[in-house]
Amino acid sequence: MSLTSYFLQQLINALSIGSLYALVAVGLAMVFGILRLINFAHGDLMMIAAYIATFALMSHIPLPIALIMMMVGTVMVGVLMERVAYRPIRKAPAVAALLTSFAVGQILQNSTLLVSRFAQQPVQIAFPQIDFLRGVVTIGDLTVSKVNIASLVIGLGLLFLLNQFITRTTLGLSMRAAAEDLQAAQLMGIDTNRVIVTAFAIGAFLASIAGLLYAVQAGTVNPDMGFTPVLKAFIAAVIGGFGSISGAVVGGYALAFLEVLLTAIPGLGDILPAATTSPSVISFFKTYLPGSLSSYRDAFVFVILIFLLLVRPGGILGTTDREGRQ
Amino acid sequence: MKHKSFVAVFAVVAAVLLSGLMSVVHAQDTIKIGGGFDLSGAESSLDLPASNGAILAVKEINAAGGVLGKQIDFVVRDSKYQMDTTAVIAKQFVEEDQVAAVIGFTDSDSVLAAGPIIQAAGLPFITAGATSPKLPDQIGDMMFLACFGDNVQAAAGAEFAFKNFGKTAYLLSDLGVEYTTLLGEYFKARFEEIGGTIVLEDSYEDSATDFSAQITKLKALSTQPDFYYIAAMPYNVGSVVKQLREAGLTAPVVGGDGYDTPDLVKVAGDTAENVYFTTHALIDKDNGTEGIKKFITAYNTEFGHDPENAFAALGYDAVYLLVDAINRAGSTDAAAIQAALLETKDLPGITGAISFVNGAHVPQKGVTMIKIVDGKFTLAAEVVPEGVPAADPNAPMPEATPSS
Amino acid sequence: MAQTLKSNLQRNGFLILLGGLLLMIIGLESSGSSLWQGIFINLGLYIILVVALNLANGFTGVFSLGHIGFMALGAYISAILTLPLAQKRSYLPNLPAWLATMHFDTMIGPFPLGFLLATLIAGIIVMVVAFLVGGVLMRLSGSFVSVATLGFLVIVRVLLVNSSNITRGSRTFSNVTGYTDMWWVYIWVIIALFVIWRIKFSSFGRAMFAQREDIAAAESVGIVIMRPRLLAFVISAFFTAVAGALWAHFLTSFSPNAFYFDITFRVITMLVVGGMGSVTGSVLGPITITVIAEFLRRIEDSTRLYGISQIILASLFIFIIIYRPGGLMGEREIDFGWFWRRGRPSKPAFEGGGEQPSKT
Repeated sequence: MSLTSYFLQQLINALSIGSLYALVAVGLAMVFGILRLINFAHGDLMMIAAYIATFALMSHIPLPIALIMMMVGTVMVGVLMERVAYRPIRKAPAVAALLTSFAVGQILQNSTLLVSRFAQQPVQIAFPQIDFLRGVVTIGDLTVSKVNIASLVIGLGLLFLLNQFITRTTLGLSMRAAAEDLQAAQLMGIDTNRVIVTAFAIGAFLASIAGLLYAVQAGTVNPDMGFTPVLKAFIAAVIGGFGSISGAVVGGYALAFLEVLLTAIPGLGDILPAATTSPSVISFFKTYLPGSLSSYRDAFVFVILIFLLLVRPGGILGTTDREGRQ
Repeated sequence: MKHKSFVAVFAVVAAVLLSGLMSVVHAQDTIKIGGGFDLSGAESSLDLPASNGAILAVKEINAAGGVLGKQIDFVVRDSKYQMDTTAVIAKQFVEEDQVAAVIGFTDSDSVLAAGPIIQAAGLPFITAGATSPKLPDQIGDMMFLACFGDNVQAAAGAEFAFKNFGKTAYLLSDLGVEYTTLLGEYFKARFEEIGGTIVLEDSYEDSATDFSAQITKLKALSTQPDFYYIAAMPYNVGSVVKQLREAGLTAPVVGGDGYDTPDLVKVAGDTAENVYFTTHALIDKDNGTEGIKKFITAYNTEFGHDPENAFAALGYDAVYLLVDAINRAGSTDAAAIQAALLETKDLPGITGAISFVNGAHVPQKGVTMIKIVDGKFTLAAEVVPEGVPAADPNAPMPEATPSS
Repeated sequence: MAQTLKSNLQRNGFLILLGGLLLMIIGLESSGSSLWQGIFINLGLYIILVVALNLANGFTGVFSLGHIGFMALGAYISAILTLPLAQKRSYLPNLPAWLATMHFDTMIGPFPLGFLLATLIAGIIVMVVAFLVGGVLMRLSGSFVSVATLGFLVIVRVLLVNSSNITRGSRTFSNVTGYTDMWWVYIWVIIALFVIWRIKFSSFGRAMFAQREDIAAAESVGIVIMRPRLLAFVISAFFTAVAGALWAHFLTSFSPNAFYFDITFRVITMLVVGGMGSVTGSVLGPITITVIAEFLRRIEDSTRLYGISQIILASLFIFIIIYRPGGLMGEREIDFGWFWRRGRPSKPAFEGGGEQPSKT
C-alpha cells in the first residue's frame, strides 16, 4: 500500500465516520436551536434503535419490517421523551434541562438492561448479520467495507432530504422561525408544540439510522453504546456553531477529519517506506510523533472544543455570539 | 413542616442502620463460600459461565454429602464489572456473609480490586480465570489461581505461531486492562527471545468499536507480518477480527483466552477464520476427554444449554480445588486451607490436573491451542511451552509476606 | 410544636447533632460491621462532594460537570504518595525516580501523619489546577460552561489513562492502604460544612449569589464577577480532592472509570435533591439519596432486577426538577445555633428556589 493510498484510505474512514457524526449532530442541533436544550439522551435513541433492530432480527422478523419497527419505535421514544420529561421544564434554566437529559438517558439505558435480562440476553449482544451490509468493496489497494459506503451514501442522502424539508415545507420554515425566536414565532401563530415535536421526531429518526449503522460497524450492541457518539456529535455541533443545522453537518465532518488526522499522523515513522524516505524524516516522526500519541486524541479534541467555545462560541461557520460568553 | 421531614429522614436512617445491625446473626451449620462474578457487566460472557460452573460443582458436592459433613452455602454476588462495586462485595463476603473462602472472577482487574480486601481478612481466595501471574505477588499469600498464568499462554502462543506461521508478527493490545497489557508484554518477550521480530506494535482503547485507524496503519506496512497477535478482551475480539478481515487482511490471528467466548463467532461471523487462540480446555462433546463429556452433560442438565466456554470448567474446577483443600485441611481454618492448597498435587480437573509446585500460587497446567474452523472451536494443539518469561521481569520476586 | 422544636434546635441543635454523630460513629465502630461503617463513610464522602459542588455550582450558578475530575486527581495523587516503597517497586515499577522514593506512610503512633500530608498535598495541587482551569473556563456561562467542564473531566481521564507509568493507566490501581475511617471522614465533613457555611454568609458569598442572579446589576455595584466565581471554584476543588483522597484510602482499589459519569450524576442528583444554594440541603440530599439507594440496592440484589435502582433514582430526579426545582431546602438553611452564629446575618439574605415561602 503506497503512502497515497494510506491517506486516501484514512480519508474514506473520515468521511464515513463523519456521516455518522453529522446524522447525530443534526438532531442535537435542531433541538438546541429551538429549545436551548442540550439533549444528552439523544445518543440513547441510537442505542434504543440498535436494540429494537437486534431483538427484531433475532426473532426472525424480515429485515424491512424490522427496520420499520426500529424507525417507528425510536421516533415514538423520542417524542415521548419530549412530552414527559422536557415539556414540563421548558421554562427552566438550561442547566436543569441538561441534567434532566442525563436522567432520561439513565432511564433508557437501564430499561434496556432490564429488558435484555428478561429476554435472557447478556449485557452485550452480538448484532445480527445484515447481508447487504456485509463484506467489502475493493478498488485498487483500497478496501472499503459496505457499511462505510452505506454510512456515507445514506448519511448524505438523509441530510439532503432534511435540507429540502427545512427550506421547502411550511413546517420546515416554522422550525427555522422557531429557532430564530421561539416567542416571536408563537406570536406569529406558529404552533410551537408541533414544531418542537417535529424536531424531536426528525432527530430521533436520524438517530435511529445512525444507531443501525453504528451497530453494524461495531458488531455488538450494549446499553452504554450511545454515550461516545453523542459526546462526539455534541462536539461536532459546537464546532459548527450550536443550533445551526448546516453547521452541525460541517462540524460532523470536520471533527471526523480532525480525529482521523490525529490518529493517522502520529506513528507515521513506523510505516514510511525506509528505502525511499530520508532517515531524518523517519526519526523525526518516531521521536516527536510516536504512535502512542494518538491515544491522547480525545483530550486534544476537547482542548480544541474549549478553545472554540472561548474564542468563537458561534462556531466555525457562525458569526453571532449566542449566550456563550459573559 | 421542614423540620418534621428532617427528623423523619433521620429516623429512617437510624431504622435502616439498626435493622442492618440486627441482621448480622449467623447460622453455623453450613460452610459459607463466597462467589464473586460479573453477572451483568461487559465481562459477563466469561463470568456467567464461570459462576454457573461453580454453582454446578457446589450442587454436586452437596448432593454427595458436602464437605467435612456440612453443606456448602455458596453466596454469589454481582460485581457488575465495576471496580468499586467489586470492592464492596468483597467487604460483604468478609463482613456480612463471613465466608470461609472466596472464589471467582475471570479477569485480573476485578481480582486486583477484591483481592487486597480478602487478603486483609486472611481468607483464601481462588480466582477461576484471572490469568495474571503477578496476582499472588501483588495481593498476598492467600491468593491462588486455578488457571495457568498469562506468561505461560503467551509463550505457548508465541512458540506455536513461530513454528507454524513465521518469524514476523504484528502486535495489537488493548492497553485499558491488566490482562491484555500483560499478555502483549509476555508475548513480545517470548517471541523476540526465540528470534521473532515484531514489525509494528499498536494499541486501542478498551471501549473502542472502530479499529479502522489501526488497521489502516497495519495495511500500510511495506512488509506484511506473517501473523497478528492481538491481545483483546472478550467484548472487543469479535469486532477486531471482523474489521481486520473486512479490510482484506488474511494472515492468521493469534490470541489468548479472552477469545474463548461465543461472541467471537457471533460477532465476526464467517470472517472468524484462520483464528487461533490459547485457552484452558476445549469444551467439546465429540472430541473432549471423558471428564469433559460428563461435565458437558451435567451442565446441560442444570442450565439447559452446553457450557459456553472453558471458563465454565474453570469455575467448576476452582470449587473442587478449594473443597479438596478444605477436606485435606480437615477444618475451615484459613491458614490450614492455605497450607493444604499449597500441597495440592495432581488434582484432576476438567481443565487439566492442578499442582502447586515449590510454593507457587499459580498452577502448572498445559495450554490448549484452539483453531476456529467453520465457526466451530477445534483443537489445534496441546502446547507445553519450552520457555516461559518471568512473571515480573521488572522487579525481583519479593519474599512472600507472612499473613497477619 | 414546630415552633418549640425549632427554638430547641436553634439553641442546642449543633450540640445535639454533634453528640448524635459521635454516638453513631462509636456505635458503628463497636458493632464491628464494616459494611455499615462503609455506608456511613460513603455518606460522609458524598456530603463533602455535594457541599463542595454546591459552593461552585449552587452559589455561583456556574454549573460544573467536571468536578469529579478533581476528585480523580485527589485520589490518584494521594494514593501514589502514600503507597509504601515495597508496593511501589512491585506495583508501579516505572515511576520516575523522584516519585518512586517518596512515601507518605509515616505513622505517629496510631495516627497516619503521612496520609494527612498526602491529602493536603493532593488538595493543594488540585487547587492550583482548578485555579488555572477556572481562570479559563469561568469566562463561560450557561450550558457552555457545563460542557467545557465536562471536557475537563474527559481530559483528566485521558491523561490518567495514558500516564500508565504513574497511574497504571486504566488498569486497577490497588493496594492502597485503608487509612480512611469514620473519624477521618466526619472531621473533614465538619471542616467542609463550616468553611462553606462561613463563605455563604460572607461578603464573597453575597457576591457569588448576586452575580448569579444578575450579572449586570452585580457589576454595576462593583462586583468583579470573576473573583467570586474563581474563589468558589478553587475552594470547591480543594474539598472535592480531599473527598477523592479519602475515598481512595477507603476503597483501596479503583480505576479511572470509577471517576466518570456515574458518580458525577450521582453527586448532582444529591445536590439537586438537597437544594442548590443550601448548606443544610447538601447534608439532607446525600442522606436521602443514600438511604433510598441502599434500600434499592438490596431490592436489586434479591430480585436480581439490575438497573431498577437507577431507573427509580433518575425518575425521582426528573420529578424533583419538574415539581420542586428548589429541592428539599431551596436556598434556605436550618439554623443550628451558636456554632454558626457569628457569620449568620440577622435576616436571611437570600430566599427563593423552592416555591414555599421561607419563614425564618
